[in-house]
Amino acid sequence: MINDKDSQKIVDYIQNFARKQSLFVMAYGTGCGAIEIPATMTSRYDAERFGIRGAATPRQADVLLITGYLATKTLKRVIRVYEQMQEPKYVIGFGSCTINGGMYFDSYNTINALEQYIPVDVYINGCMPRPESVISGFVKLQELIQQGKADNGKKYRENLEWYRTNQKKIIKNWKMPDYNW
Amino acid sequence: MTELIKEQHLLDSLTSAFKIKGRVIRDRRVEVFADKKMVSGILLFAKKQLGFIHLAHMTCIDWIDENKFELIYTIWSPIEKIHLFVKTKIERENPEMENIDSIWDQANTYEREIREMFGIQFPGLIGEQDFALEDWDEMPPMRKDFDTKKYALETYYQRPGREDAKDVRETISERSGTKVPDFAKKYSREK
Repeated sequence: MINDKDSQKIVDYIQNFARKQSLFVMAYGTGCGAIEIPATMTSRYDAERFGIRGAATPRQADVLLITGYLATKTLKRVIRVYEQMQEPKYVIGFGSCTINGGMYFDSYNTINALEQYIPVDVYINGCMPRPESVISGFVKLQELIQQGKADNGKKYRENLEWYRTNQKKIIKNWKMPDYNW
Repeated sequence: MTELIKEQHLLDSLTSAFKIKGRVIRDRRVEVFADKKMVSGILLFAKKQLGFIHLAHMTCIDWIDENKFELIYTIWSPIEKIHLFVKTKIERENPEMENIDSIWDQANTYEREIREMFGIQFPGLIGEQDFALEDWDEMPPMRKDFDTKKYALETYYQRPGREDAKDVRETISERSGTKVPDFAKKYSREK
């Protein structure tokens, strides 16, 4: 039935509208930034106004928040979580540490730029970002979803070789399952 | 100031029993400097005879100028309310120390951490080789001669834009037209 271009546009609009209104955030905290999440979720800032709420498992979640510094040991877990998530999936890099290493730029076991290992949709800067900036980051993500620009799951699938090379540079003992998305 | 009677008494009983040196740091803090081989004897004596039943902490310091590692055992007595520091220095080449997890079980955790972070071997220590790190095959990272910044630059992708970062004092002095004080010049990042 849907074969002409305009009706596909309408379907996409409705689909994106629905997607942006229910962002289920993976309940997974790395580093110190996870302390801002309870403040964002509870009554004062009340992120559920925007449809942002927690999800218990990776397969139910839409958004993966990387809250703060990412140790190489944690990166392995993050990659496993990210690969288990269903599309559409989005990643938000949270705090200076995910952008350029922050105060851990010379540490021997934290990575310095997150988008080398998994694709990132939105970065929120600050150390720590306050709940207002967290919510503004989510609103920015919602804009990208509405415009249909947040398709990083597809980007990850297509450039898997490049991401794998970067990941294997850090994780020496690579014992990970392969998924056929 | 109160007389440090119980601290002095503890120090006397330890120095007379083992012929070691030590001092009273302040009230409730006593330290003794022991030889590597005497440490387990002192700890056992303190636990059985003097009531120091709790191993509060065990840590290591890298004195690279002296070419020594210093191991510090912090033990505590709930009766005397004194922290006793037993300190010993061991050689940096092929460092090895006696395993004391038969005296206190919790020493196992501290020893595994020290083995990973400083590379000190404890013969007979049971437990995984990895403690906090995973698949680490470089020099133990807490040693002073491990260059962590160099390692990070070689291993991880560096986002451009950090290299012109200045010391905050220089930025402030430029803005306000004042001079950087002499003691702060060593922190300058301009080469």
